[in-house]
Amino acid sequence: MNQETAVRNDRDTTSHLPNNQIKVSARKVQVYYGDTHAIKDVDVDIEDRNVTAFIGPSGCGKSTFLRCINRMNDTIPIARVEGQILIDDEDIYDKRIDPVQLRAKVGMVFQKPNPFPKSIYDNVAYGPKIHGLAKNKSELNDIVEKSLRRAALWNEVKDRLQLPGTGLSGGQQQRLCIARAIATEPEILLMDEPCSALDPIATDQVEELIRELKGNYSVVIVTHSMQQAHRVSQKTAFFHLGNLVEYDDTETIFKNPKDERTESYITGRIG
Amino acid sequence: MPFYWILPVLLVIAAVGYVLGRGRAMRSADGDARNLHSLPNYYGVHAVIAGLVPAALLLAAWAVVQPIVVDTWVSQSISESRMQEAGSRGLAMSEVRRLAAGLETAVERGAITAERARSASQSMDIDDLREAVSGAGIALTGNIAPETLENAQRYNRISAVGSAIKTVLVLLLSLAGTAYAVSQTTKEFRARKSVEHGVMALLIGAACLAIFTTIGIVLSLIFNTIEFLRLYPAMDFFFGTTWSPSFTGRGGASQLGILPLLWGTFYISLVALLVAVPIGLFAAIYLSEYASKPVRGIAKPLLEILAGIPTIVYGLFALLTVGPLLVSTFGDDGWLGVDWMDGGTAVMTAGLVMGIMLIPFVSSLSDDIINSVPQAMRDGSLGLGATHSETVRQVVMPAALPGIVGAVLLAASRAIGETMIVVLGAGAAAQISGNPFESMTTVTAKIVSQLTGDADFNSPEALVAFALGMTLFVFTLGLNVVALYIVRKYREELE
Ligand SMILES: Nc1ncnc2c1ncn2[C@@H]1O[C@H](COP(=O)(O)OP(=O)(O)OP(=O)(O)O)[C@@H](O)[C@H]1O
Ligand SMILES: [Mg+2]
Repeated sequence: MNQETAVRNDRDTTSHLPNNQIKVSARKVQVYYGDTHAIKDVDVDIEDRNVTAFIGPSGCGKSTFLRCINRMNDTIPIARVEGQILIDDEDIYDKRIDPVQLRAKVGMVFQKPNPFPKSIYDNVAYGPKIHGLAKNKSELNDIVEKSLRRAALWNEVKDRLQLPGTGLSGGQQQRLCIARAIATEPEILLMDEPCSALDPIATDQVEELIRELKGNYSVVIVTHSMQQAHRVSQKTAFFHLGNLVEYDDTETIFKNPKDERTESYITGRIG
Repeated sequence: MPFYWILPVLLVIAAVGYVLGRGRAMRSADGDARNLHSLPNYYGVHAVIAGLVPAALLLAAWAVVQPIVVDTWVSQSISESRMQEAGSRGLAMSEVRRLAAGLETAVERGAITAERARSASQSMDIDDLREAVSGAGIALTGNIAPETLENAQRYNRISAVGSAIKTVLVLLLSLAGTAYAVSQTTKEFRARKSVEHGVMALLIGAACLAIFTTIGIVLSLIFNTIEFLRLYPAMDFFFGTTWSPSFTGRGGASQLGILPLLWGTFYISLVALLVAVPIGLFAAIYLSEYASKPVRGIAKPLLEILAGIPTIVYGLFALLTVGPLLVSTFGDDGWLGVDWMDGGTAVMTAGLVMGIMLIPFVSSLSDDIINSVPQAMRDGSLGLGATHSETVRQVVMPAALPGIVGAVLLAASRAIGETMIVVLGAGAAAQISGNPFESMTTVTAKIVSQLTGDADFNSPEALVAFALGMTLFVFTLGLNVVALYIVRKYREELE
């Protein structure tokens, strides 16, 4: 790790001061895909106004657990979720909870970019329109512009907002999906490998966005990049084969992990 | 030797060729198949192909060419006076052909002896002959002129000689092919490769046959249409607003304007699509987006059973159930008391029933298309807090729209070409009217009635069927091309 990131990291850790309220609290969460037990007994507390990173080898269940937090697993017929997840002390798997409203509050950026077959503008305006966030056209324009700027895409697309979002490059699509997710102003933002197709500059900008979002929201990011987890997050959870092996302050996880599996993973020996 | 003897003989030659080819290959390899270039069976099959394929091709070619040659030959000996009597050389020739075929059949059934069929010539004989031939169940119209009889006999004579030559040539060719293949067979011979060529030729042949048949049908449509337009002015046909064919006179008396038929066709198709598209589309959305697996497993096949019902059954349904039902609603004494409808057959009757017929067509195509919209797109929308119906309306439908438009166009082209339902449900009145409760008729229904009437086949009244068919073909072809283009474009976009 170079000097600069180390410095930036310091700045981040100093900036997150005492407001460590628990936003999401998961207890004994199990997820089954048919007979496959994909998430086993996961307990985790995700803090408000903080960035939490999920790391772990491919197939260990990071995406699966992330999808539990906004109940996206409901859309997979064979998936079954057990246990308890509280957001602001409310059980989100309670019968009275409307998953539609929950998802407006818990935004998500998917692992694979999935822009709608609409114009770039309409992609971003989709959420605000549905939830009536803009009073008029010019407010909507502002939301779209602001979201695209924050997702570091504005300069590339400002002249072709009416062109289809599917026509963008993979990395641009990824940022479009980020812009789309933040346009609805969620309280919790779940990002599944948001930088997997981005170049270093765009990655830097997205990380900057994540730091900025941290001021108001709780951000959960899945990443395969140790440096990224180290750079942006305050808390890190290490998953392995469906288990949450270790969950602690990012500094602790990277400097003195308690579990040897964690240590071998971050030093590159399993993965 | 009749045709149906040639085939068994050819098969026997092929079987012998197989045994010889395989045996010779084995012998040349000293009985060890490993010394051969190809597996032993390939040598046998090579001989079979060489024995059958050229012979079969010759047989097919002969079957096409011989009648043409015989026709030209015989028609040269038709005299001027005979031609004038019959109207044209073609008509005189068709009399000859009919009589020739009659004689053949009569001989086959034993009504007259072959000798008598060959040699009868006196006018006395002709009357006897006619009786004998019609006794055998073959009706001959008009008087038989002695010259016609003579020509018919000549026709049969030449045909018989031709067939004999054909038999001999085909069998010789088959034997020669087999012999050549067997003589070629050595252990180095690449039988596997030559069989590969044979298989490819077979497949190409099948494809060509399909394509040429289509081309042939289209050409016959085109030529007959041109023939019709020579007899009847094109302007009157394409822009005439009256359809009243007469079957008595030749041309002149008939008014053959296509516009009332096109109007009926499009009106009925429109009603059908207005019924089929919303219902089919909503059913498809329900099945692909909302229905649980078990419901879908039952409902989808049930819906598709509708597609398996023969259209004549729908026609009956239109005539016997829907028509009377509509009359009792919109008719004179109907419970709406509006008196819009006189008879059961009407645009509405045919349109409704055709719409029902098209529902499964629209729904199963749309269902496939909606299902091919990637789940990730739905997830994207649901993940932003959209409801299920918002997702369907704003993301799934726009993504599937081009494909659905394609499906609707395909349905439209089926509606335009549909026949039985309109024959039974729409009535026969060719008219241009806006009232959907009036009886109207379509292009297809009129093709049926023009050809089932007893108009002379060369008259405009019958030939108009080809022009109607051609018009229909152009419309449905256009729709299909546009539809397929849209569907394909849409597939590319999603991928
Ligand atoms: N829709 C599904 N149906 C069945 N099994 C699934 C499904 N999605 C995930 N799984 C299984 O659940 C396990 C966890 O998958 P998940 O996608 O959560 O992994 P991940 O940690 O996100 O991996 P990656 O880093 O590769 O994205 C895997 O074994 C996977 O095969
Ligand atoms: Mg994943």
